[in-house]
Parts: sequence; structure tokens; C-alpha cells
Amino acid sequence: MKADITTKLKNICKNLGENNKPTYVVMAIAAVKGICRPSFTMMDKKEDPKTKKYTAIREGLTELIAIPVYWALGELSAKAAQKHLPKDLQKKGAKNAMFLGVCTAALFVIPGLCSAVIKPIMGTFYHDGVPEKKKIKKLDVTSASEHIEIPARSAVVASTDVKRPNLQTFSSRPEFGMKVGGV
Amino acid sequence: MINGVGKILTGNSLSNITSNTNSQVMLETTLKAIGRPGFILIDNEISEDTKRYAAAKEFLYQATCLLVYAALVVPVFKHGAFKLAQKTFEKTDIGNFSSLKQYNHYLKLCDTTHTNRIQTLGKEIKGTSVVDETGNVRRQLVKDEYDASMLTELQKPDGNGGPNKFPVLKGAIELGNIIGSVFGLAVFAPQVSHAFIHPALRILGLEKKSDKSVQNNLDKTV
Repeated sequence: MKADITTKLKNICKNLGENNKPTYVVMAIAAVKGICRPSFTMMDKKEDPKTKKYTAIREGLTELIAIPVYWALGELSAKAAQKHLPKDLQKKGAKNAMFLGVCTAALFVIPGLCSAVIKPIMGTFYHDGVPEKKKIKKLDVTSASEHIEIPARSAVVASTDVKRPNLQTFSSRPEFGMKVGGV
Repeated sequence: MINGVGKILTGNSLSNITSNTNSQVMLETTLKAIGRPGFILIDNEISEDTKRYAAAKEFLYQATCLLVYAALVVPVFKHGAFKLAQKTFEKTDIGNFSSLKQYNHYLKLCDTTHTNRIQTLGKEIKGTSVVDETGNVRRQLVKDEYDASMLTELQKPDGNGGPNKFPVLKGAIELGNIIGSVFGLAVFAPQVSHAFIHPALRILGLEKKSDKSVQNNLDKTV
């Protein structure tokens, strides 16, 4: 049993030692991240369950996109290098080109693809889980005013009967209060 | 144009990086630390404050990953894998090397031409001396550091595959690197960053103590 495991391990190590592709490590990291990051997010007790679920799916999707992109870009770059390089340099050049492909994927393609693809995907397949953004409370006068019953205003009638005191004449003064001397 | 690209692709500096999982992962993490915050900053659908906060958080996360990787994976997993391989496999598969450093030096010598190898083996190591078989004290040479069987391998001509590179040992070290990278970057780094990022963001003035939960929600929803 132990000998079997050692032989298998030896074969794995030999293959890895003879042909270790740059895509192996990044794909392994992305695969484990795709499992662990959402799990850690879901374990967070302080967070709102809806937000947790949404974030976990987003994180899982990011890594799910990353794995095939790493593989595809690495292989494509290696094939392109093999096509254009002379035969004696093909093996060395292909491995280096594969690494450059992986770097391009990490620097441009994956972040770009995630920005472009994840939001629409989440919008299409995950209506309920999208946490609502906090609404900014504003005094909404126009919509609220429809429900308020405002009593009909009485028409303002311009009155001509208003008795205004004439300040020029003495008799127009109000005749109450103390009078000192005179009339 | 194609010649220039070809020169870069077959250059030794790029080959040195691709032959080592450590340098690959470190370079890739550095690129992520530049690329991901960059893409967040050019997103027009997010508010300016959220963009700055999310970009700083992503940058700090990748920087934490880089530190964790350099501090944990390289010394622990790489050396651990080398020692484990020495205990598990037979000498015929893994050669007779005293340390990981010596094996790395051996691999570098294997990648050079036969003439270069012989020249390098005959060079003196400065500041060191050894007593030879006749009892005389002399300067230590590069070849004195190697076991007799390893020297025989290094002196082999380049035809017929050249010296044995001991792929089992190389693979064991790479496997240790991959396991360490996965553990370090996917399991350990998120835990460390969780404890480190929020105080760092507060120091940078991007997060107030009372705003923590609000900012957290904001970041996650964007």
C-alpha cells in the first residue's frame, strides 16, 4: 500500500519535474480560491444573509471565469509561439509564451471579463439575491402631495368696503382712550 | 518584429522566471495588484468614494498575498518538500545534494554548455579554504561542494541528454510549491488580510471606524 502511494507520488513528481506548465499552479490556486473564498464569505456571521449569498456567488463566478481563461490563453500563446519560432527554440519559447499568456490573463483579460460579464449574469439569474442599495431619504413633495387632501381655497374677493383711516384728517382717528386737553 | 518577440520569448531572464513556480506566482500576484485595482478605478458605474475604497482594498489584499507568499511558502513549503523528497525517494532518483541551494546551483549548471560547466566547477570560492587529501590548505573550489557522483554527472557532455537533472526531485519541489501556493494564497492569505486590511484602510483615511459596516456592504454590493 505504502509502496503504491510512493510509486504514484514519484510518477507525479517526475511528470511535474519534466513538464511543469505555468498554467498548473494558477489553475490550482483559482480552483481552491473558487471553493474557499465563497465558503469564508458564507461563514461571516456579521453580514446580512442576502449580501453574503450575493458576494459568495460573485466570488465563485470570478474564479470560475479565471480557470478556463488561464488555460485557454496559456495554450493559445504556446501554440502561437510554436508556430513562429524555429524548431530548436520551440520548447523553450512555448513555455515562456504560455507564462506570458497567463500574465496577460491575470493583468487584463480576467479583470476585464469579470467587469463585463458578472454584472449582467448576476442581474439575469439572480434577481432575488441582489441586496438592495440603501435609498437616500429625500423629501418627496410631488408624489406625497397627491395623497394629502388640501381644502379648496375660498376665492379671494377684493373688497372695496374696507374703511381705511385717513391719516391726514384729525376726525379719522379712533375715538377711544384718554384725551388730553382740546376738543 | 517577430525576431524581437522571438528573442524575448527565448531569452534567459524569462526562462529563469518560468522555470520556477515561486517567481511565477510572485510576478502574477504583482500583476494582479496592479490590474485589479486599475479596472476598479476605470469603472464609471461606481461612485468615486467606493471606487477608491474598493481599489485600495483589492491592492492591500494582493499585497498581503505577496507578503504571505514570500514569508510562508518559500521557506516552509519549498524546503519542506526538498527534505520530504530526501526521506521518501531513493538516491538514484533524487541525487545526493546537501541543500536546496546546492540543487538549484546544480540545475543552473546543467542549463549551461559543457565547457561553461567545467570552467565554473574549477572556480575558487572567495573567503573559503579546505584541506585536501595531501594535507595542504588551499582555496575551496566550486567542485569541492559537490558529491563525487554529482560531479560525474556535471562532467558529462551535452549529447545524449547531458547531465541528469533529477526530475523527481525537481517535481517534488514544484509540487511543494504548488501546494504551498494554493494553501498560502487561497486559505491563509484571506484570513490574514481580513485582520490586516481594515486597520490599514483606517490609517489611509479611507474607512472610518463607525462607517465600517456601511463601507463593507457598499464594497460587496458593487
